[in-house]
Amino acid sequence: MRLLIIEDDRESADYLAKAFREVGYVAELAADGEEGLSLAETGDYDVLVVDRMLPKRDGLSLIGALREKGNRTPVLILSALGQVDDRIKGLRAGGDDYLPKPYSFAELLARVEVLSRRHGGPAEETTYRVGDLELDRLSHRVVRGKDELTLQPREFRLLEYLMKHAGQVVTRTMLLENVWDYHFDPQTNVIDVHISRLRSKIDKGFERPLLHTIRGAGYMIRDGIR
Amino acid sequence: MTAFGKLIRTTAFRLTLAYLFLFALFAASLLGYFAWNTRRLITEQITSTVNAEIGEIDDIFGRRGLRGLVFTIENRALRPGANLYLVTTPNGQAIAGNVGSLAPGVMATNGWSETAYRRLEDQDNADHRALVRVTQLSGGFRLLIGRDLEERKRLFGIVANAAQWSLLIVVVLGLAGGVFVARRVLRRIDAMTGTTQRIMAGDLSGRLPVGRSGDELDRLAENLNAMLERIEALMVGLKEVSDNIAHDLKTPLTRLRNRAEEALASSGSDAEYRHALERTIEESDGLIRTFNALLMIARAESGQARGNMDDFDAAEVANGIHELYEPLAEEDGMTLRVKATSTRLHGNRELISQALANLVENAIKYGTPAPSAQPLSAGAADSAESREILIEARRDGNQVLLSVTDHGPGIPEADRKHAVERFVRLEASRTQPGSGLGLSLASAVATLHGGELRLADAHPGLTATLAIPAADTSERVAGQTPDMSKTG
Repeated sequence: MRLLIIEDDRESADYLAKAFREVGYVAELAADGEEGLSLAETGDYDVLVVDRMLPKRDGLSLIGALREKGNRTPVLILSALGQVDDRIKGLRAGGDDYLPKPYSFAELLARVEVLSRRHGGPAEETTYRVGDLELDRLSHRVVRGKDELTLQPREFRLLEYLMKHAGQVVTRTMLLENVWDYHFDPQTNVIDVHISRLRSKIDKGFERPLLHTIRGAGYMIRDGIR
Repeated sequence: MTAFGKLIRTTAFRLTLAYLFLFALFAASLLGYFAWNTRRLITEQITSTVNAEIGEIDDIFGRRGLRGLVFTIENRALRPGANLYLVTTPNGQAIAGNVGSLAPGVMATNGWSETAYRRLEDQDNADHRALVRVTQLSGGFRLLIGRDLEERKRLFGIVANAAQWSLLIVVVLGLAGGVFVARRVLRRIDAMTGTTQRIMAGDLSGRLPVGRSGDELDRLAENLNAMLERIEALMVGLKEVSDNIAHDLKTPLTRLRNRAEEALASSGSDAEYRHALERTIEESDGLIRTFNALLMIARAESGQARGNMDDFDAAEVANGIHELYEPLAEEDGMTLRVKATSTRLHGNRELISQALANLVENAIKYGTPAPSAQPLSAGAADSAESREILIEARRDGNQVLLSVTDHGPGIPEADRKHAVERFVRLEASRTQPGSGLGLSLASAVATLHGGELRLADAHPGLTATLAIPAADTSERVAGQTPDMSKTG
């Protein structure tokens, strides 16, 4: 997996590169907008991580230039501007995801993984399968082993999102954004409660749990033995 | 720029000049019309008397012959202020009358003419002008009767004189008036400019002077004052925020630093370091949350989020928040219910959702009935009701009300206004986690939408209501300071 990090703050850039390399990514750095643009155009990257405010050429114009040339590499925008309208502006400019600073690396990693998978992954499937858990997106049926599970509509969408990203860490904010479409930061552990309700429906009474809590990051659905 | 230069550049002065010009033109044309009319009148008078006299004389000549004619003419010519008379023989010799000399050729042509003349008895050499008519009598005699035009000239002189003076008076009075008005306006504008300069220099308490006349300048000054009021309030708010940020962010930052220092100093195990680091991350996450909330409030208060507004259903927001928080409430032993009627709202959906979420989080955190307040006799049903939180969305007149009611200890009336302020965490809540910004954000969001956050007694408990103008009435008139309602 190849990453290009376009970030002008040397320390954050180095920290990010090191952290990504530790989890097995190839991470390259660019320190300003012009350099970033030329690297992004020539190199073959899976995901671009772009700071919004860059010297020489700002992040949004960089993305615009890339998109104009038909480059569809997924872009994650990092920005100190974290308000809803900034986010909308960023996504409109051609970004695929938007993460306000300061962020945790776990959050960034989870989002980058989802982005890279989205890029290379196959067309949307109608059925998701994890272990003996099966979710049919058309008939809204969820079956574990031989039992059919009854889920509330929101629980279904939560499970759908988790299963779509099976094997990937999904953070609480990602869930809040994608399942509930809220972009604020709740002061309480609302998401955890929803997850534990879902868990009691899909894992309770089964020998092997599928829905895992990833400490300090979020959740992941995965078949224990693979 | 000199004072004079400033004066003549004022709009008032320029307008005065324009009016002055118009008035002068008007006066001049009026006098001109008057003069022309008088002249016409005098001429008409002369011609009619002369015509009558000629008829008369002709008649006398016909009846009494040359003797009668000469006699009558000589007689009339001797009267004081008399007309001009001249009778000549067919070969041009004067035989009667009071005219000494005439411009050449006048006597030869019949009809009206204006001519220079001299009277017989006149000793001076000055030429006078007269309007005369010459007729041919029978037998070749010619008769001239005319009238001196001195009177007409004099009248003309009077009119011209009057015109000069009146123009002069108009100009002088007009200029003086213009200067007076311009100076008056200029003084007031200068006062305003002085005040605004003081304000720009940093004295935000300055206000423009407002007169009593209620004219356009007063209204302008009033509006500017209202604007200054708002700016000052914002600045005070900003200062309060920075003070509070300094205080409330420094405390956790100091804690963070101390903990790191302590961990560094101690020779602990790996597990202990780990624990210290985890605590550090937790603490900084809290800081980030506080910071985000502060930015959000600042954003909402400055009105920047106004760009992202559209129409949506308040009931959807209420149902969405209910759906999100219902499991959390249940986990905390409460029941979260929703009662929403569909009603349109114009605003920033995300912000309103967040404001409502904050109210619900507050209700879950603080809405638990105080143990001491629970009478021992309270049955299971009572207790279930007292642990219920209700989200409501409905329309009331031209307002949309989004409210959250809990049955906890509530907020004493005296504290309610205070509770909305930033970082305020009432005594009872000090032990709970949170940034103390929830109500401030809700209030800022309500203000952004031209509404207000109301806190009221729910007997027992608290009803927090976001009252926001409905979609059809909301004209994005945000800005007024929210006012606390005393009653539910």
